[in-house]
Amino acid sequence: MQLFKVPHIKFLKYKYLALGVTALIVLAGVLNVTVFKGLKLGVDFGEGTLIRVMLKSPTPVGQIREDLSRVGLGNSDIVETGTSGREYMVRAVQVVNIKGSEEQQLEAHEALADKIIAALRGEPTPEEAARGAQDLNSINEQALASLLDSAFPGSAPDAAKTIIALRNEKGIISDFSELQDLGLKPEVLTFLKDKTYLGNLTVLSRETVGPQVGKDLRRKAVQATIWSLLGMLVYIAFRFKLEYGVAAIFTLTQDVLITMSVYSFTNREINLPIIAGILTIVGFSINDTIVIFDRVRENQKALRKEPLEEIMNLSLNQTLSRTIITSGTVFLTVGALFLFGGPVINDFAFVMLIGTIEGVYSTVSLSCPVVLFWQRLFKPKKGARR
Amino acid sequence: MKKNLQWKVIITLALIAGAVIISYPPAEKIKLGLDLKGGVHLVLQVMADDSINAETDQELARMEELFKKNSITFQSAVKEGTGRFSVSGLLADQEGKTRDLFDQYARDWDFSFVGDRVVLTLKPLVAQALRDQAVSQTLETIRNRVDQFGVAEPLIQRQGANKLVVELPGVEDPERVKNIIKVTAVLEWKLVLAGPAADEETLLQAYDGQVPENAEVVRGDASRGQAGVYLVSKVAVVTGKDLRTVRRGTDEWGNPAVLFTMNSDGGARFERMTGENVGKQIGIILDNKVQSAPVVESQIRRTEGGMIRGRFTPEEADDLVIVLKAGALPAGIKYLEERSIGPTLGADSVRQGLIAGLVAILAVMTFMIFFYKLSGINAVVALVLNVVLLFGALAYFHATLTLPGIAGIILGIGMAVDANVLIFERIKEETALGKGVLSSVSLGFSRAFTAIFDSNLTTVISAVFLFQFGTGPIKGYAVTLIISLAANLFTAVFVSHLIFDFSVKKTAKRLSI
Repeated sequence: MQLFKVPHIKFLKYKYLALGVTALIVLAGVLNVTVFKGLKLGVDFGEGTLIRVMLKSPTPVGQIREDLSRVGLGNSDIVETGTSGREYMVRAVQVVNIKGSEEQQLEAHEALADKIIAALRGEPTPEEAARGAQDLNSINEQALASLLDSAFPGSAPDAAKTIIALRNEKGIISDFSELQDLGLKPEVLTFLKDKTYLGNLTVLSRETVGPQVGKDLRRKAVQATIWSLLGMLVYIAFRFKLEYGVAAIFTLTQDVLITMSVYSFTNREINLPIIAGILTIVGFSINDTIVIFDRVRENQKALRKEPLEEIMNLSLNQTLSRTIITSGTVFLTVGALFLFGGPVINDFAFVMLIGTIEGVYSTVSLSCPVVLFWQRLFKPKKGARR
Repeated sequence: MKKNLQWKVIITLALIAGAVIISYPPAEKIKLGLDLKGGVHLVLQVMADDSINAETDQELARMEELFKKNSITFQSAVKEGTGRFSVSGLLADQEGKTRDLFDQYARDWDFSFVGDRVVLTLKPLVAQALRDQAVSQTLETIRNRVDQFGVAEPLIQRQGANKLVVELPGVEDPERVKNIIKVTAVLEWKLVLAGPAADEETLLQAYDGQVPENAEVVRGDASRGQAGVYLVSKVAVVTGKDLRTVRRGTDEWGNPAVLFTMNSDGGARFERMTGENVGKQIGIILDNKVQSAPVVESQIRRTEGGMIRGRFTPEEADDLVIVLKAGALPAGIKYLEERSIGPTLGADSVRQGLIAGLVAILAVMTFMIFFYKLSGINAVVALVLNVVLLFGALAYFHATLTLPGIAGIILGIGMAVDANVLIFERIKEETALGKGVLSSVSLGFSRAFTAIFDSNLTTVISAVFLFQFGTGPIKGYAVTLIISLAANLFTAVFVSHLIFDFSVKKTAKRLSI
């Protein structure tokens, strides 16, 4: 089967248009970041505390914001994850301004996290407090075992284990009736209903990175990216020609900039997995670029008389079906991750979705023109012929 | 069958069998990172200068003693900073004698005389060694504590000069672990001279408001029900280092307590101290806070051991046993990064990741077979082998699979598919030019190879740099990427070609592609 016959699109006719479009997108991104503070740095880069919680019953965002406003944290970032209306991601934002030593800052972050959790968890009802009940949704296995041990010596550790396993599987126990299928004795259930209550939430995860480590991670991520770009430049310059290396790096820079620009218009944050995503985009894009350059290299040998611009057009057309098929399969993979991968991986999948589309555009539109521009700039005579 | 084909088949089968054996069953053999499994991830800084400060204090005290012993006159000895102290008020005619003393007893210190004053500085190399030792001892102590706490497969690693990374999979109670790791756990038994009193002023009334020379003021640990302040002797008779066994037990009222016995040396000192101080109080001091101050009722024999009481909960008593067994930290630590991922989120991530991965692979496979027909099956086989080899390598290198690692795998799989697409498209082109089936296939492979090789190698180069300069998650990404690209070159180029060699007959007129 064939996607299409080898087309004859004059890609290089549109090089100025492509440059213009790229410039526009990047400019919009830069404006969005500098003027409207669009790009949010995440917890990995030292900006506060991230808490993921699961609630006992579906709760609207407004209700959560109201609960947090009551402790003065109403301006926290609240993002719903999952589809049940019960999972939320909360990040406190005003911590950024805390001054003090590294550890004081970390402790301040942590204290804020505790405050958020406490506010969302709420107090036990007076009735529950009066009988001294403990929260079954936050108690740990050991404590539950020792609680049960007072009434059911012997069977307590096993009972505690199955209850906690259920809680871990479901994320939270919404109702005591959920415990009925565990094969616990009815007395145990009655005992639990008396001695415990079901708190409003469980903490799925909490992450705090101190400013020093955050700065460190940021610096290293940038350093790693720059070095790996340089490494690619050198290799391509060695295998092809310097201008091809330059063009590849130019294309990659565009990939990063465009992806970040688009990303800045969403409400998502930059964390380490996003950096991995951008590096992956860079990887795919360099792959595309090299395939085309390889074809140009090959065609140059066969068609010595043709001007370079024509050879590039031909090569782009010859590899176009491959470019689309490959990107299509990647798009399938990333699309699956985006739809089914769950909340933790969602930002990553999203950035990859942008990148896959953008990668095709940048390779086709920009990689070859930059070689031409470079040759015109530095090799005026030769560039006219080859 | 051709001879070199035989060898190719043997190599391929051997590699695949090896990968399967190493990685089976994958649920056990592939280690999942904390982001996928749940657990606690801590980065902490060791205050390595603590050990230099301690060394400075010790050296200063030792020098004072030596000066007195050798009747060298001086006015005062003062600590000037970390790894630096000075002695002033020296007599000019005793300088030679002092130099001799330093040469003999202070070899780790540089010294310089200025007038009647001498400044001693710890040699940089020695200071460096001390810092280094402090960090590695802290690491060992934390490892011991974590082992005692009972965490399966903890990872405790040094990062840079003075940072430690602690990863504890499956830990439910991050606060408790953090406390166990952080307490310095210096345990001392000191004679109580006065107290408890409500504040320092009341405490020192009998001493004219001055702390006596051989004594110091220590606060009680409020969480242990010791609210007041105590005046205790400066020198500890027995310390945590003298303990032989420690375990959790109960006191005579059934409350949790920590029981201990001492080694022979410490036991002897303990016996002498209790014998000399019947009727007096002895303070049990943990990290400069009095836990309890029992009255000595009778001499305690060296073999008898004793008990630490302090209104403990069972968990607190357990934790104290853990830190006492593992020993004190040589230097303070502070937390720089704390992450705890609950078991639910980790399990969800893995489940959803698997579903997404399966959907993705199935979609890609369906597409390849739909688009390339029988040749597509070839690509699918190569893809499956790629994943098998990847898992084998992950198991073999004991690499940890993290979320960014999955990103690396996606890029790897993407490039594996791409390699097949490149080859197949090229074969089509060659066929379109009117070449025969066999020569199309072999030209397709050879002409596509340079592009595949260059693009894979370029990506490997960038991944190597990422591995070199990146931190944890980025490193995990680089590792899976490098492995899958290596597997890629093998499966997409070598194995695919092999399958064509077997399946395409010499007389074939058409290729199903």
